[in-house]
Amino acid sequence: MTELTENARHSPKVELLRTEHLTRHFKIGGALSRRTLHAVDDVNFAISEREIVALAGESGSGKSTIARVLARICKPTSGEVYFEGKPLSGIRSRRDALRYSGLVPMVFQDPFASINPVFRIQHGVLRCLKLHRPELPASERLTEAARVFEVVGLDPAMLGRFPYELSGGQRQRVGFAQALAMRPKLILADEPVSMLDVSIRIGLLNLMAKLRDEEGVSILYITHDIASARYVADRLIVMYAGQIAETGPIEDVLTHPRHPYTQLLLSAVPDPRAPLSVAAETDRGEPPKVVDPAPGCRFRWRCPLAIDTCAQVTPELAELRPAHDVACHVAQTSAEEVKAFT
Amino acid sequence: MPELPLLEVTDLSVDYVLDQGSVRAVDDVSFTVDRGEFLGIVGESGCGKSTLLFAVAQLLSPPAVVAGGSVLFQGTNLVGLTDDQLSAVRWRDMSVVMQSAMNALNPVTSIGAQFKDAMRAHGKYSAGEITARSAEVLRMVGIDPVHLRSYPHQLSGGMRQRSMIAMALLFTPDLVIMDEPTSALDVVAQRSLMVQIKELQQTFGFAVIFVTHDMSLISHFSDRLMVMYAGQVDELGVTRQIFDKPLHPYTQGLLEAFPSIHGPRVPLKGIPGNPPSLASPPSGCRFHPRCPSAFDRCPAVTPDLYAVGGTLVRCLLHENGSPSR
Amino acid sequence: MAMPVSGVPTQTPAAPAPAGSGHHVLARIGHAVRSNHKATVGTVLLLIFILIALFPGVIAHDSPTQDAYAPNLGISTAHLLGTNHYGQDLFSQLVYGTRNVLIIAFVVGLATTGIAVLIGVAAAYLGGGWDGTLNVLTDVLLVIPLFPLLIIIAAYAHGGTTLVLIAAITLTSWSYTARQLRAQALTLRNRDFLAAARVRGERQLYIIMVEVIPTMTSLIVASFLTNALYAVLFASSLQFIGLGDPNTVSWGTTLYWAENNAALQTGEPLWAVAPGACIAVLGAAFALLNYAFDEIGNPALRPVRKPRSKRA
Repeated sequence: MTELTENARHSPKVELLRTEHLTRHFKIGGALSRRTLHAVDDVNFAISEREIVALAGESGSGKSTIARVLARICKPTSGEVYFEGKPLSGIRSRRDALRYSGLVPMVFQDPFASINPVFRIQHGVLRCLKLHRPELPASERLTEAARVFEVVGLDPAMLGRFPYELSGGQRQRVGFAQALAMRPKLILADEPVSMLDVSIRIGLLNLMAKLRDEEGVSILYITHDIASARYVADRLIVMYAGQIAETGPIEDVLTHPRHPYTQLLLSAVPDPRAPLSVAAETDRGEPPKVVDPAPGCRFRWRCPLAIDTCAQVTPELAELRPAHDVACHVAQTSAEEVKAFT
Repeated sequence: MPELPLLEVTDLSVDYVLDQGSVRAVDDVSFTVDRGEFLGIVGESGCGKSTLLFAVAQLLSPPAVVAGGSVLFQGTNLVGLTDDQLSAVRWRDMSVVMQSAMNALNPVTSIGAQFKDAMRAHGKYSAGEITARSAEVLRMVGIDPVHLRSYPHQLSGGMRQRSMIAMALLFTPDLVIMDEPTSALDVVAQRSLMVQIKELQQTFGFAVIFVTHDMSLISHFSDRLMVMYAGQVDELGVTRQIFDKPLHPYTQGLLEAFPSIHGPRVPLKGIPGNPPSLASPPSGCRFHPRCPSAFDRCPAVTPDLYAVGGTLVRCLLHENGSPSR
Repeated sequence: MAMPVSGVPTQTPAAPAPAGSGHHVLARIGHAVRSNHKATVGTVLLLIFILIALFPGVIAHDSPTQDAYAPNLGISTAHLLGTNHYGQDLFSQLVYGTRNVLIIAFVVGLATTGIAVLIGVAAAYLGGGWDGTLNVLTDVLLVIPLFPLLIIIAAYAHGGTTLVLIAAITLTSWSYTARQLRAQALTLRNRDFLAAARVRGERQLYIIMVEVIPTMTSLIVASFLTNALYAVLFASSLQFIGLGDPNTVSWGTTLYWAENNAALQTGEPLWAVAPGACIAVLGAAFALLNYAFDEIGNPALRPVRKPRSKRA
């Protein structure tokens, strides 16, 4: 990564977004059922300016739900989200809502479904400009659209084409261009590269790093691929079953993973250059669907190190290394590093 | 006398016949699979690997049609056989695992009922035999046989894929063809499924053709690897050798496009450009517009597959059977 | 393509674009019509009828209502279909009647589809109480048997002028289409590009009008064609049983008079058969266009062409 990012990472950061006890439950079953699915439980994290935070976890971990709450597609069941110090629940007028959606846009996962197939590519970008950049006169919108296209590495001639003429990678760049057109502070990227071919992913990951370095935009990068998270992100949040298991600077979390689940994830990542790790074979478990959970660690059924406390008390995040928090009883109480999965 | 390969594909070509003309999705592909061998077929979207798979399994439907070549399975050419003739081979000797279990499993019947259908379709069995065998294959893939009564939506993604594999193993075929069976799964489930497949393969001795876009996934499991690009085979050889010393610039580019979680963080480039349109592929070598090592002859001459050691590579750089640059 | 291509992850599998398609909508439609046989036949037939309706005087030289000729003449060059019991030229009747039929077809088609789009898509998007209310309205009309209702309305309106016919048929036909459109709108509701529009701050009405409805065009066009077809059949049927205005010149009224005079039994079969044939041909034109649109919109439905045999 560039020297710019090294400096940026060490200077004190301005906080952009913060969640406090963010919780989102869904009622499941029929009208008479009282069961709730705990998609997100008591999640606290912060995102600063000019940083890429990776939110990693398997499906069902709650990461997409968090994205939807942050994009204001759904409201939290309890807890609060603060953006630039102001709570999201305080957004009532259309003007405030519009302002927020311009500062915190979302890029979606599926490049083939996220663009309206009926219109030319310019349609979405121009709408973004019209809604969020009122100071820009209509005559200059197309020029500005061309400019953001160049920033994301697209030929401005594509503005006049239809979506079916573009490849998946190009369409995802259009998604980023639309977000960029609104002069955002934080982009919510929900698995933006999962559906792309591997050789195309790097191009988009490089684009994300460029947006952070040159445009000063923060990105919440939601993914299940730890390797790509390592490639672009500054910090990592590992989620399991709706709760944060571990969080910290990405290099530190990856070289000193303290939570057994993080270790499991790391051992399962295929790496052609490394020999095959044996540990992950022994795990046949699946992330649980968390319905009306009892207290206790939600990973305990798959954890080889689980102790009695794990079944009784839900672990809370505690700082075990500088800026590196772990929610695990065993990790918190043991003197040396735990090794559940190597 | 060396044993005949289990599967011998020679010069296989598949066309899509469209209004505007034919598009060749698979172009003169040849490879063999020996008994008990694990062959990985790797490539990106549009390279023709899924089409190739369907052609080998004789599952092509219009407008796709085999335009040439042969598929010799245990000595018999499958191309041109009728459905009746194929059914003797299907599922008993060769079975297929589809990409997405939710698409391949019937959502309105239980798993057990689908196993029953599969067994009945290929032979006469009593109800007891069917239940016993169904339970046995489920146990083989690590699923409790009580799930014979479950519906697909009641199982997790990983379990669904495993039951697809169990269904493919009902008759312990000699060859199991798999089309990206792990792509919808999370990384932990993916790893455990791959290990499971390898274990089963080693226990029962069947051959596997495994199609995927994810090279790193297959690196530890396949014996040999075939890299496809734009409908052609670009590199074919022993897996470890290809990973240690990739010969084709495309393979090199692919390998470099995987960020690693170990080692230093280095900026990567990926492969610039996009895969070509199969309707009008580039002249000469199909990879030349994106190739960092392309030289003047590349747009003019279509390279054959050249042998370099035990690996076949379609690149003019290796025209003389050894690296020329 | 009917072939499943590997889904995840994907890039556009370099699909060849239709030859000669500019993005000009007309050019694409033109190409589609020319290449699909059903579309070609249907379009030609429909155009013929439209021309006849626009310029009846050019084709038929006699007034349709004037009973100036000898009755019951057979086919001749002067009277292409002969004359009827009243001495009117049958051919002129049919030619002049085309206008009435086509007006009914198009107006009903447009009105029915228009109402159905409004109500169906609104129900899908507004959800909740609105959806419930609109659904009840739609379902009630759906459940009432269509033809008896038509008869009652037409009879109550004291015999229908064309306007009454149009109104009655529209009123009873929109509910089926509304149901269909609502179902399709519901499936579109969760598509990412609509979520993207919501997230960028578009208003609800804008999303419905600009983002949703244009993606439903193929179903909307198909609905229009189906409703036009049924309008022709229903209108002619109502006129045939005497609920239309018997003095209007239309195919259905011609049939009515033919029936009144027992044309089939008294040896003037052409009087009854010819208008019936016209109705059938126009109906076929709409039906062919409907099939053709389906095929154009959904390539999986296209007829399979035998590949030219290559080397074995």
